Amino acid sequence: MIQLKTLLNCIDNSGASIVECVNVLKKKRPATIGDRIVVVVQKQRSAGSEATTAAALASKVRRGDIRHAVVVRVKKELQRPDGSLVRFGDNACVLVNKSGDPIGTRMNGVVGQELRNKKWSKILSLAPIHV
Amino acid sequence: MAALPAMRPLGCLRSLSLSNPSSTVDSFSTAYSKRPERVPLPPNMPEQFLSQIPLRFRPDPDREPLKIYPAPPSARKACKDPVGAITESQLAVLDPTGERKAMFDYRRNPRSVKTGDIVRVTFKNGDPFNGIVMSIKLRGIETSFLMRNELTRVAVEMSVKVFSPNVNSVEIVQRSEKKRRRARLYFLRDKKHDRRSVENIVASYVRQKKAFLGGGNRRR
Repeated sequence: MIQLKTLLNCIDNSGASIVECVNVLKKKRPATIGDRIVVVVQKQRSAGSEATTAAALASKVRRGDIRHAVVVRVKKELQRPDGSLVRFGDNACVLVNKSGDPIGTRMNGVVGQELRNKKWSKILSLAPIHV
Repeated sequence: MAALPAMRPLGCLRSLSLSNPSSTVDSFSTAYSKRPERVPLPPNMPEQFLSQIPLRFRPDPDREPLKIYPAPPSARKACKDPVGAITESQLAVLDPTGERKAMFDYRRNPRSVKTGDIVRVTFKNGDPFNGIVMSIKLRGIETSFLMRNELTRVAVEMSVKVFSPNVNSVEIVQRSEKKRRRARLYFLRDKKHDRRSVENIVASYVRQKKAFLGGGNRRR
């Protein structure tokens, strides 16, 4: 249930840590796993005080940037075709560019398996675990 | 009340007339009275009077009496408990030995999976899911159980249908250490009671099992 103003964790190394959803693309309903959304970067990832300059240089996005993202985890339970349900502890996304390639090069955290049906295999290959 | 007659001298007269029982109807009867039977028209009534009778009461030789059909046969006679019958037939296909039904029938089978146990579920497609059982829903063929675990510091809950053909096996890794007083352990979602990850418990169980079975893939 990702909709306008929803805050999501960004789980890639693009430099964003918390983003806010401003639009759900290609559907008139709240977004779920595998859906593309438009987000605003609200908080940048910073690794300590001495590493801020290096982290700022490494980060590919800044606070206030408007980017596309793919939802990878949702709190709202999802029903699979075999009847099983999956629910995660938080809402999370991965930033992608306009052509659909992930901006970060690494991901930390579990992602939903629904990405496979929606042709996000690049994100799935970056993720450590999928459930 | 004492001031009233002084303000409205004729007010008392009106109240007197209202309380007069003979002028108003105070009660009505609800006793059952039989519906009056229709009085037949006089047999030798001249035809010119017919126009004075309302249309629906006039004799009409063309009108047929309403046909009354018998009620259709009850479906209940054919099958008394259709849902139960379908459940039976489906269980015969999906769980012919009754092993899995016994494994989750926590009301009757004391050795079944119970809430609070840590279980490991393997699926047809290969990747297993481990978790602490939060609830078991006994719903016939749709019996399911809800597991909770933490993967990469993110809580993951998964509800699986017990009789799903996608489920290869369900193994009890660890029994709950104390008897649970609740049927559904939804309080495990609270921060205070959260068991966090059960991955290491399951990993040690898998290692032990491999040592016992010599790397075989048989079930216990």
